[in-house]
Amino acid sequence: MSPDRPGRSTRPDGEHDVRGLAFRDDGDGERDEPAYEPVVSPARPKRKVTWQKLVFTPVVLAAVLLATYLWITNIHLDSIEHNSLDNGNVQLRLWQHVKLTAISTFWVLVIAIPVGIALTRRRLRKVAPVVTALANIGQATPAIGLLALLVIWLGIGARTAIIGIVAYAVLPVLSNTVAGLKAIDPTLVEAARGIGMSAPGVLAKIELPLAVPLILAGVRTALVLNVGTATLATFGGGGGLGDLITSGIVNQRMPVLILGSVLTVVLALLVDWLASIAEQLMRPRGLEVSA
Amino acid sequence: MSFWQYLSNRHQQLLTDAFQHASAVFQCMVLATVIGVLIGVLTYRSDWAGNLAVTSTATILTIPSLALIGLLIPVLGLGVPPTVTALTLYGLLPIVRNAIVGLRGVDPALVDAAKGIGMSRAARLLRVELPLAWPPILTGIRVATQMLMGIAAVAAYASGPGLGNEIFRGIASLGSANALNEVLSGTLGIIVLALLFDAVYVGIGRLTIPRGIRA
Repeated sequence: MSPDRPGRSTRPDGEHDVRGLAFRDDGDGERDEPAYEPVVSPARPKRKVTWQKLVFTPVVLAAVLLATYLWITNIHLDSIEHNSLDNGNVQLRLWQHVKLTAISTFWVLVIAIPVGIALTRRRLRKVAPVVTALANIGQATPAIGLLALLVIWLGIGARTAIIGIVAYAVLPVLSNTVAGLKAIDPTLVEAARGIGMSAPGVLAKIELPLAVPLILAGVRTALVLNVGTATLATFGGGGGLGDLITSGIVNQRMPVLILGSVLTVVLALLVDWLASIAEQLMRPRGLEVSA
Repeated sequence: MSFWQYLSNRHQQLLTDAFQHASAVFQCMVLATVIGVLIGVLTYRSDWAGNLAVTSTATILTIPSLALIGLLIPVLGLGVPPTVTALTLYGLLPIVRNAIVGLRGVDPALVDAAKGIGMSRAARLLRVELPLAWPPILTGIRVATQMLMGIAAVAAYASGPGLGNEIFRGIASLGSANALNEVLSGTLGIIVLALLFDAVYVGIGRLTIPRGIRA
């Protein structure tokens, strides 16, 4: 579920309608797409970062934050609300959330990318369908159930929360990596072997660079998933912004609930925006129009 | 109490929860499909509007479920309304995106031919374009359903219906004899439901995808 954001069109609206027929755009990098587009797909080729893309999201998010801040400071808070929001609690929860996301994303990448590479090597290729099937079942597993089971097994705390978040995100990133490496034209690999490159050489110089777009899409997926799953860490005593949301719901204090939710939303969108910028900047030059 | 004993003792409650879970997801999926396909049909012709539709639904999907439900509670209260709203919103993205991709992927020559034999705009859409775009839309529906199964579990925290209640009951009674049974029955129940739905979608695909365009 990599939310993919096609770049903003710079052309006026009507120009893409040719006599009432769906217009096929060949001009700026869009290619005819097959009717079946898997939802976990490489981000479609798009223009390099434009200034609108660079500015729009942060400005909107900053405005939302400012509005929330002004609202929170101007309403009367009762003692329960003060308890939830004072003494740096908000900053603490925010920081915990960022830490949970960062640490779990790190582990997801450290686990998923090497395993993905290993699964596409010749010796292990037979295991790959098993992993894909596992990934499908994993997708059906509710994150909250997984986390609750881990809490019962390992006890509460941030460590359990991180293990749960990692376990939930590893499979999508893994299947993304495998798909990316499998999508590479086998003739390219053969040609590389043919000119005398070693297997590790082919991997490092041909396969991995070609798989970069899909792997980056996987990183972005992991980040966005992890920001979301980290809100559930509060149910395992892992802290994070979910703490504000749940205490808002339990104590029926709307300002706490809204502040927690708004901060989570802003954090999620900010992380997604950063990842999308990184994705476009790090995509190898020659690969802008590739599978 | 062993897990099997727990299941047979509580099967009434569990079946009710499972039924409510499935029915909530199913109803929200119907709603999301109707809205999503409608958005797709309205926007796929314009590059600009299509991109806007995909970008805005993608933004909704980026928002963590607990936070979206949290934002809906002050407006809609606890219980069913925020659950249904959140589930429908989350279900939109895969459907909208696949509807737009599918409709844009229809060979213009076919649409032209349909026009040439005198089909009206609505007939072209209903009898040529949508049937050809149906396989990716169905894929979108499958993906969305899997996702909603898990999100519905979180919605139970806002007093929503379904198997999530079992999981939260287990979390609330950590350390008690039945905590594991409760969490396990809720989690496994959701997985089973998700797999059942998936099997049903495969069947729907067999029945509704025209023979000529089956992959």
